[in-house]
Amino acid sequence: MTAVLAGRPAPNGRIGWLEQTVGGITANIEHAIFTERHARSDGWLQRRDPRAKLVGFLTAILAASLASSVVGLALLYAATLAAARASRVPFGFFVKRVWLGIPFFAGIVVVPAIFFVPGDRVFDLALGPAHLAPSWNGLAGAVLFVSRVGVSVSLAVLMVVTTPWADVLKSLRALRTPQVFVLVLSMTYRYIFLFLHTANGMLLARKSRVVGRTSGGEQRRWITGTMGNLMSRAFKMSNDVYAAMLARGFTGEVRVYSTYRMRAADWLALGATGAFGVAAVLASRVVA
Amino acid sequence: MHIPDGYLAPAVSLALALPTVPVWAVATQKVKKVLNNRTVPLLAIFSAFSFTIMMFNVPVPGGTTAHAVGGTLVAVVLGPWAACIAVSTALIIQALFFGDGGVLAIFANCLNMAIILPFVGYGTYRLLAAGSPVLSTRRAVAAGIGAYVGITVAAFTVGVELGIEPIFFSQNGHALYSPYGLSEAIPAMVAAHAFGASIVEGLITGLGVAYLQRRHPEYLTSLKGIFAPDAAAEGTPVQRPLWQLVAAAVAAAVVALAAIGLIEGGGNPNRMFGADLSQVDWPSVATMLVVTALIGAILIPATYLLLPRNVKRIATTFVTIAVIAPLGLIAPGIAYGEGGTENVKAAFGYVPSGLQSLSGIFSAPFGGYNVPLPFFSDANAPLWHAAIGYEIAGIIGILAVGGVTYTVARLLRRSAGHAPTAAEAGS
Repeated sequence: MTAVLAGRPAPNGRIGWLEQTVGGITANIEHAIFTERHARSDGWLQRRDPRAKLVGFLTAILAASLASSVVGLALLYAATLAAARASRVPFGFFVKRVWLGIPFFAGIVVVPAIFFVPGDRVFDLALGPAHLAPSWNGLAGAVLFVSRVGVSVSLAVLMVVTTPWADVLKSLRALRTPQVFVLVLSMTYRYIFLFLHTANGMLLARKSRVVGRTSGGEQRRWITGTMGNLMSRAFKMSNDVYAAMLARGFTGEVRVYSTYRMRAADWLALGATGAFGVAAVLASRVVA
Repeated sequence: MHIPDGYLAPAVSLALALPTVPVWAVATQKVKKVLNNRTVPLLAIFSAFSFTIMMFNVPVPGGTTAHAVGGTLVAVVLGPWAACIAVSTALIIQALFFGDGGVLAIFANCLNMAIILPFVGYGTYRLLAAGSPVLSTRRAVAAGIGAYVGITVAAFTVGVELGIEPIFFSQNGHALYSPYGLSEAIPAMVAAHAFGASIVEGLITGLGVAYLQRRHPEYLTSLKGIFAPDAAAEGTPVQRPLWQLVAAAVAAAVVALAAIGLIEGGGNPNRMFGADLSQVDWPSVATMLVVTALIGAILIPATYLLLPRNVKRIATTFVTIAVIAPLGLIAPGIAYGEGGTENVKAAFGYVPSGLQSLSGIFSAPFGGYNVPLPFFSDANAPLWHAAIGYEIAGIIGILAVGGVTYTVARLLRRSAGHAPTAAEAGS
């Protein structure tokens, strides 16, 4: 499906793939800036200690994965919505962003299974020799699957939009992730935006110089050339960055100081999340 | 190929940390030993690079686009251990920041795309390129094939990970997680990649290595010297004409197909692919071939000349496929293109009850992919009648599928603007 959508040429332009790439890259940059904006606003989740938040969200996602009935998932989703509300995340954005995509990707995956699963049939529509007969069991499984994916993705999105990236990284450190990894992650994040901007510039430069259609082979050569060029820039840049790090006294040791302090409210929120997660899982066992 | 949360049971997601975390530890040690303090900036920037090229849309023959992962390209330049860390980092950022791929599923996604993909890709590359000079065409082709194999094997493991869910985790008869068994998940993942994304990956990697050979050969020599001491001699670039490569590929495909056919037929050339070729009526096959060639000679140029530019190429490709499709009618004894329930049963040993009930739907208007008129589908009709029926049914099918897809795509574009990428499974 993506390929079909992507295959459509741009409405006015000549080179649709270029515009898609530029559009995709720009959307990513904008998305990042947009999410950081929500992370800076003053809401309930934004005030929590990032370590408590990370652990709490992981617990909640784990609970969503373990919940074996729609009841447990509904409880978790209601709590997620309440947390989003208290954190001033725009409701429409949050709900739409998740549920526009989920039924599409997870739903398409799961639809044929409704007909495969044995069990009592909802209805049995005879089409000539064929029977169109979804089973109750299959339907229940599909609903559970789609809502589980939806709730998990909602939780991940909520964590992402309410936490600045630097805080996510520092809380990874609290989870005993090796320092090298955290350092690489934080530098990668910084240079992603530099590279996205560079790539965008290269694509726009080409777009502004090309009139008419070019052949597919030429386009592919150009794209791989651009990638090779980016790779060579990446290598040169890593040398420069290393030199700059050395000049500033980098010895291979990384020290990060953290000024986070878990307050009573953070412990309370973490405890409440854990208890709620356990309750949701238990509730889904009891009801199912 | 990014698995979102909710597809895998938590037990599976976390169990996949068992192979993944030790590989990360070893990779960190290996890379650290080679590079000392330079590790951090080099890996960080190459992660950013691999993140960026995952954004690139690549024009694919046929007029569509797809994007690459680039794991094998990084592995060819930096070695597989460094590629593992670079791609893992990009994947973790995608999951934690861009919501692409699940948070609990990070171990699974890293195992597939950051460990299996670069290691299999790099291994294949080393195997095929063994002994060839750094600047030879063989190295670029080997990198392309390595990337193709790497991503296809990674798709296979995704299929396995999804396919084991219903075996272990179901309740009251319905699956709790991904609902498809191994026999459905593996072919779906492998086929979708082998005929699509893997081709792009191979193309990009091969062309990328060819570009580096031409413009920045130092990255394939000096860098390799740092990471892999057994780097090959530089040599000189060898230009090989395209027709030689195409001819070699076609010959290899024919040989591979014949080999598979012979294995399936138990070594008897008359029973290729399990068919019974001794029953073939060769004169009527010849008539059919002539008729098919005639139809092709009219239809294919007509499609190419008459249709508007933007659908011209893809439509011609599909019409060509439809025109040559009846060649399958030559082989009696296998239900070519009719994959009925009995084939499924033979292949998998059982028939899902739902498939049995669904299987009749599509054959209703054009049973057996033929036009339900005595001229075409009569049991005693000559083979070329059936071939024409096949072609008509095929073209109607292509038009119907194309129309539906086009309408759905238009509607989606209008209603959703650009859909969120939150759960782009399999992208």
